[in-house]
Amino acid sequence: MINFSRVSLLYPTSTKTILEDLSFEITEGEMVLVIGSTGTGKSSLLRLINGLVPHHTGGILAGDITVDGISTQLVRPGELAHLVGIVGQNPAQGFVTDIVEEELAFGMEALNIAPEVMRKRVEEILDLLALSHLRNRAISTLSGGEQQRVAIGSALVMNPKVLVLDEPTSALDPIAAEEVLSILHRLVHDLSLTVVIAEHRLERVIGFADRIIHIAGDGSAEINLPEEILKRSEIAPPIVHLARALGLSDVGLSVRDVRRMTEDIRTSGRDIEIEKVKPGAVTVSAQSLSLSYAGKKALNGVSTQIYSGEIVALMGRNGAGKSSLLTTLVGVNKQSTGSSEICGVKSLDLKGKVRREAVGYIPQEPSDLLYGQSVQGECQQADKDSQSSTGSTFALLQRIVPSINPQTHPRDLSEGQRLALVLAIVLSAQPKVLILDEPTRGLDYQSKALLVGLLKNFAKELNRSVLIATHDVELVAELCDRVIFLAEGEVVADGPTLEILLSSPAFAPQVAKVMAPRKWLTVSDVLRAVAE
Amino acid sequence: MIICAVIGTNSSWLAGSSIAAATILVWRFAADAPWARSFWFSLKIGAFILVIRTIVGVLIGVPIPGTSIFTLPILPLPSWLAGIRIGGVVTQERLLSSIHEGLIIVAVISLFGAAVSLTSPHKLLRVTPIVIYEFGVATVIATSALPNLVQSISRIRRARLLRGDEKPSWRSIALPLLEDSLSRSLELAAAMDSRGYGISRKRSRYRPIPWRTPDSAIVLAATLFFAVTWVVMK
Repeated sequence: MINFSRVSLLYPTSTKTILEDLSFEITEGEMVLVIGSTGTGKSSLLRLINGLVPHHTGGILAGDITVDGISTQLVRPGELAHLVGIVGQNPAQGFVTDIVEEELAFGMEALNIAPEVMRKRVEEILDLLALSHLRNRAISTLSGGEQQRVAIGSALVMNPKVLVLDEPTSALDPIAAEEVLSILHRLVHDLSLTVVIAEHRLERVIGFADRIIHIAGDGSAEINLPEEILKRSEIAPPIVHLARALGLSDVGLSVRDVRRMTEDIRTSGRDIEIEKVKPGAVTVSAQSLSLSYAGKKALNGVSTQIYSGEIVALMGRNGAGKSSLLTTLVGVNKQSTGSSEICGVKSLDLKGKVRREAVGYIPQEPSDLLYGQSVQGECQQADKDSQSSTGSTFALLQRIVPSINPQTHPRDLSEGQRLALVLAIVLSAQPKVLILDEPTRGLDYQSKALLVGLLKNFAKELNRSVLIATHDVELVAELCDRVIFLAEGEVVADGPTLEILLSSPAFAPQVAKVMAPRKWLTVSDVLRAVAE
Repeated sequence: MIICAVIGTNSSWLAGSSIAAATILVWRFAADAPWARSFWFSLKIGAFILVIRTIVGVLIGVPIPGTSIFTLPILPLPSWLAGIRIGGVVTQERLLSSIHEGLIIVAVISLFGAAVSLTSPHKLLRVTPIVIYEFGVATVIATSALPNLVQSISRIRRARLLRGDEKPSWRSIALPLLEDSLSRSLELAAAMDSRGYGISRKRSRYRPIPWRTPDSAIVLAATLFFAVTWVVMK
């Protein structure tokens, strides 16, 4: 269905070859997963399939790519619209109309499909993706998962033979992600749709993939069966790491497989002691916080306290009020009621230097905080703001990512590097509390491990507090001491990570699913249980 | 049409009443959507322009004789700048003419803002004929820029506040803003491109927005209004 023959890709503005001499074939009805570190060219590879690269982005392409026999070099991306449906990383930015039904019809209108056919197909897609009740809603009012389904629907409505998705679950909570992926799985099996999907969170998609394309980052790429690739790959989901750590002969890709292989470990392993965090001084305290937008309650009487030396995760489904709680805690939601304090200062009174030294906040889009023309400029500005010695921010940044070039423009950094830069800037003021909103969105495993190390160090060595809003259960299992669970703006659960994560199967990490009913969350937990 | 009338007739009464009418319209009918805030944003910009325009108009320029309100000291200027004066007698006429001109600019801006507020830019695209494809894409990018801008500004301002920057400079907001809007617009253009926009010369309509008698009536009324004001004011 998709044929790459000797494809090389190069952007004129950079010296790095994105892809070099890549040949492979994807057959009809296959679900192929594209993996690789951030910035290695996963998105470029996906966009090559319908010709957006190089037609829309520029770049030099050698070799030939054909989709269903049509070469992408000869036709514009639009002429492949009936053949390839593509869903971008951020579907909200790709919506052309504003009502769900109209969005679904947009592509067909452009291709001059008869109105009766359109009506029929729109109805089919609305049913298939369970969107019927949303048909007249404005897209901007939908939740992240619903928007993702609309984006997939508007690609599928054209009856494409190939569906290309760029990180379809990165913004979704575990339940919404599961919904989207099982729909894709069904389409592959029922309609023999060919699906190419790029994703960082392998634990979510690995069970669905027929083959994997692993982009190494130096231009080379390998396509093979998941078992083969994951035997050696650095990029691997937690269960593969578990299998490697335990020295199992095979890597299992599903929880079921690995459970069968580890039966003896579940019976022989000993219970491990969970280190109890001694609560320090109260750093963040919220008393019956409420907030409503346009008559809808985003927060409803949230009360909680966070202590120094503690890493707390804030979890909940899309739209549960996580971001609202964070912004209210740091005092930028002026219309909230109730009281919140950080280090004894009322959130709304935090200003300038006092704010920088009390709380560091990293928003969902870390780049919002950046406005300098180079990494160096940003670091100097941070030094000046925090009145620390010249070069200290950059030194901190180099400790996190040693290879960073000080002259680079912040926009040109990879996702992980940009987060590191923002972290360095925020940490240069040595805040007592660090708050992060979805820090692992779009991060590869390597950057994530770096982040975990950094935050652990910050909280435990310096005895500071960290609060993270996230959908990433694996991150929470690795990092957090405590989980606060929000639903509809209310705290529904608040307790140690172990208890909260194990109480709901949807939010349990992979290792815990394998090891249930034993209470081990991570690979290192299991190793400790076996070693003791 | 009304914008033309406002510019053409050069009447501050017409300008003032059209701003009022636009305000009522937006306040009454605008849907609670992100783009609906564009109008209030354009009003704010308008007010800012009006103030600046009035101050500049009163301070600098050729004096208009009339009833004096107060006198400012005249700033000495080199002789080659003859005809331009900074300071001096502020007359009622001069103040009025400055406000009058300012008001017309505000009317044009706020009417444009109202148009953007009342209809989503995406809806506008759906009535664009396919023949003018390139123009259609440009229009979408342009009209979706303003609402996106309003959304982005509040997000970036908040982020700057959080970095402890109480009075962020315009540059520190403008740069991320520009990058943000540009990348958004490019993303939209890529999405439209890959969904086949502009490929077929003919375009079918899913539940087309039909042209009804009230629409003709509105166009007719606007033309009539334009003609009448034109004749009366001349």
